[in-house]
Amino acid sequence: MPNNKEKDPDWKNDFPINQSEVTEVTRRQFAKFLCLVSGGLATGSAFVAAKAAFFPGKKVQGLHRVCSINELPVGGTRAFVLEGSSTPYVLIHLENGEFKAYEQKCTHLSCAVFYKPGSGKIECPCHNGWFDAMTGEVLQGPPPRPLPRLDVQVTGNDIFVTAAKEEA
Amino acid sequence: MSTFRRAQSQAHPNKTSTLMLAIVVLLILNVTIQIWLLYTGLNNALEHNKGIAFPAFIGSFTILIINCGLLYYLPRRRR
Ligand code: FES
Repeated sequence: MPNNKEKDPDWKNDFPINQSEVTEVTRRQFAKFLCLVSGGLATGSAFVAAKAAFFPGKKVQGLHRVCSINELPVGGTRAFVLEGSSTPYVLIHLENGEFKAYEQKCTHLSCAVFYKPGSGKIECPCHNGWFDAMTGEVLQGPPPRPLPRLDVQVTGNDIFVTAAKEEA
Repeated sequence: MSTFRRAQSQAHPNKTSTLMLAIVVLLILNVTIQIWLLYTGLNNALEHNKGIAFPAFIGSFTILIINCGLLYYLPRRRR
């Protein structure tokens, strides 16, 4: 049907769309869109603040026995989980005789971290992040926060962990 | 009542164009600050330092108000 060529198909009359209107964004529209994004970000911040204020994360409750002292030689580590949670923890017997317990989850992208015996450092192999085994502080690499810590209590021959006291 | 609007509408298109560009740049800057605030708030609200989440929200909200205020100064469409 060559004579139909100039005539627009019916759908174009039913749905009149102006090409330039739909593909071009004016600076005015762009500015309004930026305001929308700004509103979205403010809402996001509001959610974060509300979550932090009203729904604090569950704390570890009470004392938990991990193992006995002679199961953990100097420089040794032991991974454990607390019942009712799936967060992996690691108990470290430091060379100076102290016991330390940390979450075995890198604060960068949640890789498992390992104690490097003899160095006093905890290593994250994923992106070469290092933590101080004494305090959990970040020594180098991409992790943004120190490793979450548990307090360790040694009673008789057994090692217990409990929630770390919040330091200000 | 004569407002800035009349003078603005009579100004040379080059001027309003510059103004438009300036406003868009300001908006982009503000949104960047907000992204940073959200990131900071998230990062610190996850573990311990909860104190930063609320100030970050206040800052973000203030910037939103400023952004909406800036929209008022957009030059009128030329006809
Ligand atoms: S996940 Fe540990 S450094 Fe990236």
